[in-house]
Amino acid sequence: MADEDVQKTLEELSRDLQESKARLEEAQRIAHVGHYYWNLIANRVIWSEELYRIYGLSPQKGPIDMVMVREMIHPEDREFVFRTAEEALHSEARPDIEHRVVRPDGEVRTVHALGTVKRDASGRPYEMFGAVQDITDRKRAEQRLQQTQLYLREGQRLAHMGSWAFNDSGHYWAEELYQIFGLNPKNGAPTIEQYLALIHPQDRASVSETIQIMYQQHCGCDITKRIVRPDGQMRYVRCVANPVVERGVFKGFLGTAIDVTEQEILTQELRRERAYLTEAQSLAHLGSWACNLVTQKIFHSSDENARLYGFDPREGAIPFDRFYNTILTEDEAALRAKLENAIRAGADYDVEFRIQRTDGAIRFMRGIGHHNPSQEVGEYLGITIDITERKRAEEAREKLRQLEADLAHMNRVNMMGELAAALAHEIKQPITASVTNAGACLRFLEMECPDILEAREAASGTIGCATRAAEIIDRVRALFKKTAPQREPVNINELIREIALLLQNEIRRHSVAVHLGLAENLPEVMADRVQLQQVLMNLMLNAIEAMQGVSAHLEINSQQTDDGQLLIAVSDTGPGLPTGKADQIFDAFFTTKPQGTGMGLAISRSIVESHGGRLWASSNSGRGATFRFTLPYEESLRT
Amino acid sequence: MSTQAGATVFIVDDDADVRLSIQRLLKTVGLRAELFATAQDFLRRNIPDGPSCLVLDVRLPEVGGLEVQHKLAAAGINIPIIFVTAHGDIPMSVKAMKSGAVEFLTKPFRDQDLLDAIQQALKRDQLARRQRSEIAELHERHKSLTAREREVMELMVSGMQTKQIATALGTSEVTAAVHRGNVMRKMHAGSPAELGSMVERLRPSSNR
Repeated sequence: MADEDVQKTLEELSRDLQESKARLEEAQRIAHVGHYYWNLIANRVIWSEELYRIYGLSPQKGPIDMVMVREMIHPEDREFVFRTAEEALHSEARPDIEHRVVRPDGEVRTVHALGTVKRDASGRPYEMFGAVQDITDRKRAEQRLQQTQLYLREGQRLAHMGSWAFNDSGHYWAEELYQIFGLNPKNGAPTIEQYLALIHPQDRASVSETIQIMYQQHCGCDITKRIVRPDGQMRYVRCVANPVVERGVFKGFLGTAIDVTEQEILTQELRRERAYLTEAQSLAHLGSWACNLVTQKIFHSSDENARLYGFDPREGAIPFDRFYNTILTEDEAALRAKLENAIRAGADYDVEFRIQRTDGAIRFMRGIGHHNPSQEVGEYLGITIDITERKRAEEAREKLRQLEADLAHMNRVNMMGELAAALAHEIKQPITASVTNAGACLRFLEMECPDILEAREAASGTIGCATRAAEIIDRVRALFKKTAPQREPVNINELIREIALLLQNEIRRHSVAVHLGLAENLPEVMADRVQLQQVLMNLMLNAIEAMQGVSAHLEINSQQTDDGQLLIAVSDTGPGLPTGKADQIFDAFFTTKPQGTGMGLAISRSIVESHGGRLWASSNSGRGATFRFTLPYEESLRT
Repeated sequence: MSTQAGATVFIVDDDADVRLSIQRLLKTVGLRAELFATAQDFLRRNIPDGPSCLVLDVRLPEVGGLEVQHKLAAAGINIPIIFVTAHGDIPMSVKAMKSGAVEFLTKPFRDQDLLDAIQQALKRDQLARRQRSEIAELHERHKSLTAREREVMELMVSGMQTKQIATALGTSEVTAAVHRGNVMRKMHAGSPAELGSMVERLRPSSNR
């Protein structure tokens, strides 16, 4: 019975042992842990099944020896592993190392090996027992984490950006943040007070206020401020922070700080450049733009461009239509044709057109558009210039040129020339007849036997022809009186200024100082503009030509008299009126000038008189003469 | 003052007083005048074959004096012209004189100047008339020649002797001598030299 019991107990024990062993194997497989005995006396090794698996071997492979183990350890780790084992045998140290093994299929695994050395009573080691765990997966995860952290750190460094966190568990500053603020990471993250001390004095108050608001309202921020590093260098830092809230409970802040000094300096420079450009465009009345003429989409329009069209740039983007609708209807068709041609050809264009601004002003514009062939169809970049002033100047020049031409023409036609020739031809006929009749008359009387009857007829023919000659002269004069001048409202001051401008060359040549004393707000006179120009030109030219030598002063005054007339006076500092002949100067053919026709003053007087005025001359009390003429404005305006 | 009996002075001027006064002046020297107010009126008139000259105003309505001169020349009418004008200039007078005008007077002219010019014109007309009638006479004589005689005349003028002429025409010397005698007689030529000058005078107008 006892044997039976013993037998039974042994069987049970054996079963238990088997189960324990199986469980151990199972546990080892799950944990990737194997164990080994190394009998140092016999130099024999026994491995658990899992250890076989860790080394990539089948547990049924058979016994392992140290030569095989040595072979399977990674060549780079081999020497280190056996040295550690050797050291363990001679000291109390327990081996605890990580090394790599190379499986037969070439796969490299990392293992964590622990060992303990057993000694006999004399202290001689006889066995090493140890556990080996496959830690390859953990190792790889660790490496990945390290890599990620490296990347993050490097990224922050490259971006001049550092992250930070501020919560219950403390205050975290990324390494780069210390770099940005010029602080030593060893001193740890600064307190709020220390932090504020780093802010530029001018920004400190607003940053402090922002921090307060963040705490009070648990809100984030996005501010750019200046900091002064401990070494005195100033940097621009942009700070973005977000509150961290977990399950409705405020936990602190998470944020980044970026060194934006370079960008900020660039931005400021850009702003400055832009301001200069805007100012330049405004000075030049030049606007820049970029748009697609086909899709009518505007990509850029400078402030001045908007202003040129009469828009307020503060209104924001102005659609294409509003620009286009300002173009005058008369100019639109031609402009459209030119633009369409340019778009079709993908060519540049340079056009002039007029616009009417919302304030009603008509402006002349020049538009230059450049097309880059690599761009979309209709895409143009260009400028618009307000050329109104230039156009007006051109018009004024053209007007002056026209005036000069008119006067030249008038002089040519009006003066003697053709008129005199026509008159001469007409009047020579009766004179010829008269002379011939008189000749015949004499011959009849001189005959041996004078023919009184014929002589008498010839004499009366002479009388008739001479009378006819006189009649022709009367008829011509009557003809002149009859030609009514072209009457229109004339501003006499404007006329004086025009002639003064026209005579500028003469004025310069004779070194004459001109003074215009023109009364303001003079009424207009109904007059023949060209004829009055002729009178003024005559009087002013006479005055200029009369003044030779120093202190030549020409003064022209206009004023309104009490009896409804304008009085115009042209004074010079010349020699004055010819002594004793003052009353003859208005006679035709009277002249004191070698090249004079002697008609100027006679014609001038007749013109003034045809306008219902008077023209007269008087010597000045000092030097020179003054010519005055009147033009009735009330009377002339009635007619 | 030599006046030409039966001479006619044509006066073309658009001014009636001028026309009449000239007519009156011509009367004092016994010259007959015919008056025209326009060039067209004058050109329509068949100019009689008698001594005459033309006093022509330069500036006339529609057809001017210089144009009249041109038309007359084109029609082969050789009447001496005295131009008068109230509006003369040098280029105009040069052109008129080059085209054969006798005188170019500007109005008002001296009566004597006009009368002198008319005398000169009539003298020129008389001379031209005589020359024209002489040439006409020569043409008549020339026409009376036979074809053979004209051939002989041309050979004579070229300087050939009777014998040479006979050889050239392939006739006997006697026949050639008869032709030669006929030519001299019919042309009223006193010598071969005179015949030569006659043929010379016939030449310019022979194409008429």
